[in-house]
Amino acid sequence: MLMPKKVKYRKQQRGRMRGKAYRGCTVAFGDFGLMALEPCWMTDRQIEAARVAMARSIKRGGKIWIRVFPDKPITKKPQETRMGKGKGAPEGWVVVVKPGRILFEMEGVSEVEARAAMRLAQAKLPMKCRFATRFAEEKVS
Amino acid sequence: MSAVLDAVRRETFGKNEAVRTRQAGKIPAVLYGEKKGVAESVTVDPKELSRILHSESGLNSLISLTIDGAETQVLVKEYQIDPVTHKLIHADFLRVAMDKVIRVTVPVHLTGEAKGVKLQGGTLDFVHRDVDVECLPADIPEHITVDVSELMLNQGVRVKDLATDGTWKAVSEPENLIVHIVAPRAEAAATTDAAAAPAAAAEPEVAKKGKTDKEDK
Repeated sequence: MLMPKKVKYRKQQRGRMRGKAYRGCTVAFGDFGLMALEPCWMTDRQIEAARVAMARSIKRGGKIWIRVFPDKPITKKPQETRMGKGKGAPEGWVVVVKPGRILFEMEGVSEVEARAAMRLAQAKLPMKCRFATRFAEEKVS
Repeated sequence: MSAVLDAVRRETFGKNEAVRTRQAGKIPAVLYGEKKGVAESVTVDPKELSRILHSESGLNSLISLTIDGAETQVLVKEYQIDPVTHKLIHADFLRVAMDKVIRVTVPVHLTGEAKGVKLQGGTLDFVHRDVDVECLPADIPEHITVDVSELMLNQGVRVKDLATDGTWKAVSEPENLIVHIVAPRAEAAATTDAAAAPAAAAEPEVAKKGKTDKEDK
């Protein structure tokens, strides 16, 4: 599972997810990508599940890029604990995803294979997504 | 390819005015270059500009921009699009002199199916998808074609290998790799590594406060 090697602080405040992703919003490495259409917290497990789904779908050949990294620690209080007594213990890692963000990219496969793989990956994710291609981005609407 | 685009001089500025311009079906744009310190604010039709950007020459299309009846030769220096809807929201135009050499980025197109992929089971890695070239504005190539059909495993094409027709000169680093054929990576090994990682490090190391010995020196 993806997580930082070293952090400055163990816990973070939650923050907001306003606006669109103006960075990381173009297919930069491969030919095809998966674009988020809703803001969300995407966990390390979801990233891994999507990656495995894509990798199994394209079998061999092709290359996958993961364009997001979960660097935000999430805490959780134990069950049946009363409120207060400080912030909970770190539970996992998430990445803050905003609409327009390219999550994964793929190269070396046909568009049909890429679409099928991205559809499986999308099923593992908590937000609506859209299939994106490098060629579509070059062709602005 | 050269295209024609009408622009209207813009006298109002600011975020709110830009929003109103977009609501009226136009987009704000700016024109600069050649004459130093003379930048003009204009509005253009996004559909017309989009049509030009969709053309074969795309971003390198030479445009005759008409402002109040006066024609100026321009290139699209930069454009901004909405990350979700992909609608144009702003454009920068650069004035060009037809007799001065300019530097532009030209896309590379690949042709053929590499032998390294077909026969040896390799993967085609397209490393640099565009190349910087120097040429006159009228001689900008639409794209540079690279034939990859003879490439075997671990072979590649570099910028210095590109064939030029004399009207343009590649100015990117000559050793820059454009495309090569690599051996496919074993997926099973990667999966095992990923599965083993969480057990080893459940929580990352926290960086210590204060200066370290290295920083003191």
